[in-house]
Amino acid sequence: MKPILTALFLVICTALASAQGEPPSVVSSVKHATEGHVWGALIFATNDATQLTGAKEPIHADLPRLNERLAKVFPFKHFEILGQHRQDIFREYESWVVPSRDLFMKIDSKGPADKGGVNLHLQVWREQQVLVKSDAVLRKDSPLFIGGPPWKEGRLIFVLCLERK
Amino acid sequence: MKPPSEEHDLIRWIDGEMNETEIATFEERLKQDPVLAKEARQMRELSTSLRTHLPAEMRVPHADYFNTQIEVRITQMALDEARAKQASPGLGAMFQWLRQPWFALAGTAALAVLGFFLLNPATGDASESMIISSYTPNTHVQARTYHDSAADATVLILDGLDAVPAERKVSGINIQRSEVEPELASTTMFDSHGTPVLMISRDALGNPMITPRG
Repeated sequence: MKPILTALFLVICTALASAQGEPPSVVSSVKHATEGHVWGALIFATNDATQLTGAKEPIHADLPRLNERLAKVFPFKHFEILGQHRQDIFREYESWVVPSRDLFMKIDSKGPADKGGVNLHLQVWREQQVLVKSDAVLRKDSPLFIGGPPWKEGRLIFVLCLERK
Repeated sequence: MKPPSEEHDLIRWIDGEMNETEIATFEERLKQDPVLAKEARQMRELSTSLRTHLPAEMRVPHADYFNTQIEVRITQMALDEARAKQASPGLGAMFQWLRQPWFALAGTAALAVLGFFLLNPATGDASESMIISSYTPNTHVQARTYHDSAADATVLILDGLDAVPAERKVSGINIQRSEVEPELASTTMFDSHGTPVLMISRDALGNPMITPRG
């Protein structure tokens, strides 16, 4: 069943890409060198529980008390993970963290950081618009909270953390 | 080599410590002594340059240590330039430089900046993530960053972003794995069951293009 679904997906992607003048895509099985792994999530913060979407995405094990920690920074009572993405940080190629089509991130590795972690160039995108470009050092057990655009009566938040393993 | 009294007068003249009578007398000496006049002019320019480059206050925002690094570099460049000028007349002039009052000022400032790096845990904790620099192409958007100890997180706040329309349905995806195809500059992303969920590539303008569209 899975090979059929994969083949069907590729046919759809190829058709869509061709329709927009792009070359057809082929999924590679090559394993590329990485600098580590990140977990990215798009979170909706609000004070009105009725505005929550009902998403039930689990919290990453490397981020204990995530909602409590978010509440220290953002003045909201409710935090809901809308989507999440575990991603390799490719050493030679750009990496995309796409927990949502609405807000996602491009990561370029700039190599290991002194005293641990990894140097990164980050870009936060909202559809076709880049919201911010940053140079950062990302270290384990020290997540990055990015306060994004308002939505409804709350705010969208992007969380990025370097996985321990 | 200048006699001590002449050297002392030169320093007092540069520092503005002379009264009007002394200034008039000393400036008359400058007119009579071109060598002394040249040295006085160089010293005053150097003093003015140092005072211009050295800030009165050294307030450095958290994690924004590039500003401080630039200040350190400016101080070092000013000192290097001053030393180069002083070294040219001879070795004795270098020792004379050490006795100038603004050398103490510059040295103190440089030590204060270096001390900030050594003693301030906000920029020196190697266990925290850091935002080194940020740029928002939209000039209406402001990025501010800090480390929140209570949350144990590094925070980047984007102020001034347009709100996502309330009626828009913002939905998430769960991606567990991806495969990159360098030749096509595309990445295919898979969910926890290994099923391909979406592909991201670049359009003709270099902007990200996600297919299938949501």
